[in-house]
Amino acid sequence: MNWWRHVMAMEIRKILAYRSDFWIIFLGQTAVQLVIATALWKSIFETQGTIQMNGFTLPMMTLYYLIVPIGMRMLTGENIGFISREIYDGSFNRYLIYPLSVFQYKAVTYLTYSLFYGVQLILLFSIYQFTMIDVTPTLMTFVHLFEGVALFLISATTYVLMAMLIELLALWADNIWTLVVMLRFFTSFFGGGFIPLAFFPLWAREILVFTPFPYLVSLPVRTVMGQSSSIEITLGIVVLLCWSFFFMGCVALMWNKGQKNYSGVGI
Amino acid sequence: MINVQNLTKSFTTHVKEPGLKGSLKSLIKRDKKTKFALNGVNLQIKQGEIVGLIGANGAGKTTLIKILAGIVHPTSGEATVLGYKPWQRDNRYRKQMSLIMGQKAQVWWDLPALDSFILLKEIYQIDNFTYKKNLEFLSDTLMIKDQLKIQVRRLSLGERMKVELMAALLHNPRVIFLDEPTIGLDISAQKAVREFMKNYQVEFKPITILTSHYMADIQELCPRIVIIKEGQFVYDGSLSKVQRMLGDNKVLSVTTEKEIFQLEVPRTELSIKTKEIFENHNVLDLNIQDPSIENIIESIMRNGLGPP
Repeated sequence: MNWWRHVMAMEIRKILAYRSDFWIIFLGQTAVQLVIATALWKSIFETQGTIQMNGFTLPMMTLYYLIVPIGMRMLTGENIGFISREIYDGSFNRYLIYPLSVFQYKAVTYLTYSLFYGVQLILLFSIYQFTMIDVTPTLMTFVHLFEGVALFLISATTYVLMAMLIELLALWADNIWTLVVMLRFFTSFFGGGFIPLAFFPLWAREILVFTPFPYLVSLPVRTVMGQSSSIEITLGIVVLLCWSFFFMGCVALMWNKGQKNYSGVGI
Repeated sequence: MINVQNLTKSFTTHVKEPGLKGSLKSLIKRDKKTKFALNGVNLQIKQGEIVGLIGANGAGKTTLIKILAGIVHPTSGEATVLGYKPWQRDNRYRKQMSLIMGQKAQVWWDLPALDSFILLKEIYQIDNFTYKKNLEFLSDTLMIKDQLKIQVRRLSLGERMKVELMAALLHNPRVIFLDEPTIGLDISAQKAVREFMKNYQVEFKPITILTSHYMADIQELCPRIVIIKEGQFVYDGSLSKVQRMLGDNKVLSVTTEKEIFQLEVPRTELSIKTKEIFENHNVLDLNIQDPSIENIIESIMRNGLGPP
């Protein structure tokens, strides 16, 4: 199992080989999302003539949308199509000849990206703490930040298993791109990535509590903001672990069935 | 030892009629077509042996290699390599096996080769002494020491293949599958790879299966060849034997005042044909040769082992 440290180190070297990407994604993407969300919510707050909506003030909402994009990147990693693309072009062969588990390898590479975006989150938090005027009535501290980052890593583990389930459909179907995009959309929507879950109707929230989605995005974001209780965090971890074991079983089942269809491309 | 018994692999693909009508129809119902990439093949290879697998594109060479490397499951039949069923992917087997695909890179493109080698050292659990010794030996023999710290994507095709060879041999595999290792390489790079593999085979005696469309690779490296046609073996034996079997013809290369042409004629009719040519043409030059190995193999692939 010593190889996983080297895989992580190698993935980090790969990321650092394209350092401009790091800054473009970090600054560009975060800034765009922040500007759009702030402008939108500022106008909603002004129209409603209120300073608080469903427990959110405008500065809190701004902070929420500052954390969400990086959190989503931690969750969904870098590699959309990280298995299906390789199944289609045959580069998946490589993992089948090495004496290791292909899924462990893929999970390690995936989580390396998550960890790396976690560094971006810490960086963002530090910039925010040291440069912004503290207008946010939150309990945000470095302890909460690290709790949130750890929670994001657990949720990323659940998400990578969900993604693997979809990606493995490539062993049967010629194109699974739509399903991968749908998974991202549903995760973001039902996880509170587009609109905080507090704005969802009660019946929807009562249903969602049994799904992994609220624990994938909303819970870690609120944890970073210092708004989750330890009971909520513990419950979230338990739910995520239960779903992870379920998805792990499904992935194993699908792989056992599907690997017989793998052609490694070409005859 | 490789032992293959009655191995079959079929692939099912969807077929679609051309045009808009076909596209609309395929939305509701798609027709399937089954193709046999391998159809009941048998093969035994001893330790230290190197076998050339020859066949046209789509004949089933790569499929056989993929099954023996554990990438693809067979449809039916049995195969064991070093006593393991490859598709069960036992790590004890995978640590003793290597696959090099000329058309698929296995080292990581965005990194220098040395970074990939360090990871492979961990994956294959190679001890420090063996790793250093092999790294030294392979980089010296392949003359690629200076390129190991450069991003793989920036290397030439020949250098990249050398790096692939190094990555595949670092763990001293007992079984090596080489799928078109010289494809796309220039003549000197092809020669270097061939020379290296020849010496490696003599020194380490792995089981090696080589596929290549370059007959020079086969002639240089493989005393035994297997010719595969549409998923079935049509010849399994020595290269020299196949030359003798189908070498009853001679090739006449004729240069006249008006044209240059070649004729392949049975050895027994050689004098009659030569006489006819001299009677009917103003011959400037005439050359009599044995048919090239390419022509013999092409003839077998086209007509089987019957008369060409």
